[in-house]
Amino acid sequence: MATTRYFAGPWWKRKDFQRTAILWVMLTPIIGYFCSEIQVGAMGAPASEVMATTERLMRIFTWAASPVAAFVAAMAIVALLGKRHHGDTPPPDSVDVIETSPRAIAVWMVLSALLCLFALVVGMVALQKDNASLLDPKAIQVEVTGQQWAWNFAYPGDGGVRSQVLHLPVDQPVVFHVTSKDVKHSFWVVQMGIKIDANPGVQTETSVTPNKIGTFDVRCAELCGLLHAYMQNKVIVQSKEDYAAWLASQPNSTASTWTKPGAAA
Amino acid sequence: MTTTMTHTAPTSGSTPKVGIIKHLNFFTALALGAITAFVVWRLALAYLPQNADTAVMHTREDKITLLSMIGWFVGFMTGIGALVGPFRWVMGKDLSHDENMFLAGKDMGVKRYFRYTTDHKVVGIQYLVITMTIFGIGGILAMLIRANLGTPGGGLIHPQAYNSIVGTHGIIMIVGTIIMVTGPFGNYIMPIMIGARDMAFPRLNALSFWLIVAAAVPLIWGQFLGGISTGWSAYNPLAGQAPLGMDGYIMFICIFALSTMVAGANITTTVVRMRAKGMTWNRTPIFIYGVVASVALALPAFPVFFLSQILSAMDRALGTSFYDTANGGSGWLYENLFWIMGHPEVYVILIPAVAALMEMAPVFTRSPLFSFNIAVMGIAGISGLSVLVWAHHMYISGWAPLLNAPFMLTTELISIPTGMLFLVLIGTLWRGRLWITVPTMSIFALLWNFMIGGITGIYLSDVPADAFLHGSMFVTAHFHYTLMGAGLTGALASLVYWFPKMTGRMLDDRLSWISFWFVQIGFNVAFMGMFFVGLQGQPRRVEAYAAIFSKGNLLTSIGAAAIMTGMLVLLAAVIGSWRSGVKAPMNPWQAKSLEWTVPYPVPLENFETLPVVTEDVYGYGRKS
Repeated sequence: MATTRYFAGPWWKRKDFQRTAILWVMLTPIIGYFCSEIQVGAMGAPASEVMATTERLMRIFTWAASPVAAFVAAMAIVALLGKRHHGDTPPPDSVDVIETSPRAIAVWMVLSALLCLFALVVGMVALQKDNASLLDPKAIQVEVTGQQWAWNFAYPGDGGVRSQVLHLPVDQPVVFHVTSKDVKHSFWVVQMGIKIDANPGVQTETSVTPNKIGTFDVRCAELCGLLHAYMQNKVIVQSKEDYAAWLASQPNSTASTWTKPGAAA
Repeated sequence: MTTTMTHTAPTSGSTPKVGIIKHLNFFTALALGAITAFVVWRLALAYLPQNADTAVMHTREDKITLLSMIGWFVGFMTGIGALVGPFRWVMGKDLSHDENMFLAGKDMGVKRYFRYTTDHKVVGIQYLVITMTIFGIGGILAMLIRANLGTPGGGLIHPQAYNSIVGTHGIIMIVGTIIMVTGPFGNYIMPIMIGARDMAFPRLNALSFWLIVAAAVPLIWGQFLGGISTGWSAYNPLAGQAPLGMDGYIMFICIFALSTMVAGANITTTVVRMRAKGMTWNRTPIFIYGVVASVALALPAFPVFFLSQILSAMDRALGTSFYDTANGGSGWLYENLFWIMGHPEVYVILIPAVAALMEMAPVFTRSPLFSFNIAVMGIAGISGLSVLVWAHHMYISGWAPLLNAPFMLTTELISIPTGMLFLVLIGTLWRGRLWITVPTMSIFALLWNFMIGGITGIYLSDVPADAFLHGSMFVTAHFHYTLMGAGLTGALASLVYWFPKMTGRMLDDRLSWISFWFVQIGFNVAFMGMFFVGLQGQPRRVEAYAAIFSKGNLLTSIGAAAIMTGMLVLLAAVIGSWRSGVKAPMNPWQAKSLEWTVPYPVPLENFETLPVVTEDVYGYGRKS
């Protein structure tokens, strides 16, 4: 065995390293491209900047993860295509085994720490942007109330108009004040990429600026009992003029008995 | 390996004197449990006062249900003989030697599997059977879910029943996966692997198993009282308004948490105190580290689960308001308690399964484990971090938005120790001579599935991405990839690997290969489809969905059918091989760990002479 030592020659000239490297270089773009395209394709066209950011994040994470996945895949494939043994009795022990490799460990640790740091920084930047939009003074305020099994929307700035279908003007920041009448629900405007739980007795906030005219979906994303699957409705994003016309066509409900969520016990 | 210590078991020539415990078994336990439950139910019905306050009209029925279930529990545990030992001890006369030997299962008969038997090997087999039973039932429930989701409109099953099926599938699969490695293999194999005669507390070992049996009944009972229509997480206030079946869930969790705590204390003590002479921590097999990390994580996690359900029971039955916002409580309190248990719990499931495959990797590559120390660091790092990440389940709950960033940090840090486990596995595979067996291919399957589960976990750990993905099918697919794709793969490989030691026979090779490919391919088809519909925006736990989700759901249903086929083939293999498989040699895999040095059937106290360990178990191809 001594004549066929594995460690002969520099490491980059060894066949298994070369094969791994070639596979790795080939697999990285394939995994990165297909996974990110399928993901973003499934998520659909964004209807807000938040959703566009989310899709960008998914793309970034996928591309950042693809070299790692490709590397593990390349190592596994090369190992699997190496020396194989079938049968009921074990093969002889491997030769020139490696018990550990401080260099490989060091490289692995540094790279995984860097990738982790990268994911964190990317996430923090996006989070910061989302949080800032809650304070926009020009935003229209919408009160969202979940109940088993429907969503109700109220526009306190516009004479307390209420609706079961969410109407929003395009390119106008909106802040949602979300609460629930009974159990926990989760307010999810799918194509705008926002979601916040509706908790009974308390208000939670989220915000978004719809940037596309069209009809989108609101779904409940927290199991809330019998008809959870049907707790969904449409969001209609309109031009500012259409939105104003819709508001004007709604009965003025200042006389409504409905109170601001959380104001009453 | 040299031996220096000999063990002489005290022999008793006279006829054994065995008292009441000789007459107690599973059937007396069932009978006494049923009788006690019935008596308590009648008494509660007769003597509990009617509610004066109509606002809490349900509490009387909840009290009656919970009391009856407690009655069942006490009756069952008394009937199985769990109280004989402690009672005698209090009276100042502990069990006699003969009685202890009887409890240990000295007669080696089939009946000992139906008694309060303390032998760790009996407990291991009992755990194996109950785990398979749980997976069988959970699998049937999964197929019912897929049947209902076969068409977009659902409607095959009534929504109430559907929600209950989803919740029951969830909780029993969680319980099944928690016990799937540490139960059968942690009990049967682990003590032999460390060179011990039994567990540190054999009676606690029996207790931990029979507690699970006792716990099963309230859960089944609850199915007839409206079921668990809340999902496995049983969030309040939804759980507060759920029917009486919820009390079954509460009792189930409380008793199961007790079982886990007992088993955790027992296994940890055993490994710390009872390793063979010379088995230093550097020579302790990595599987042992995995088992200990798992049960040690359960030790802080499950008391919290227990507590969360006690508070839930008090809200339901005693009219308190821990989780009731209108009266000063908070649903967020429940969410915190639940996930303080819930996140360590996923690693309770995952770590021993990965550790089992790390144990097998050297055997099937005939080379040492790559960097044992990094494997230990990885397990320790995951365990340590996993208690600090729970609120990533609550990013969008509104509880504490300012804490999202720190929890994102701790969550993403877990990718570093997780990466270490990957490094150990690919390092061990690298340049080894691969002995192509089901466990070997399971290592590759784990790398594939766990890679996908891990990377999708990074998307979910990111707050803005989670705002889209939370509560969608994407999450469901993600945790199936980790718990099933990685966890169950490790458990099934363990079954193939240790089957010869546990049954004396080889698991049928052809059938286990067929099962392997059906399960792995079916699994990936099923949950890739689920990722896809999650990204498209399908929420979890829905009984009907929009037409755009039908393609992905179809894939999931096809994949699920393939998984079922594979699991049925495996069941046939297990039953067939157990009854009449090829007789296994003492060490079929030519492995170096201690469990392969004992014959089958493994003698009552494992070793005639206790082994002394002089090196680690990974010395394949090592130049000494």
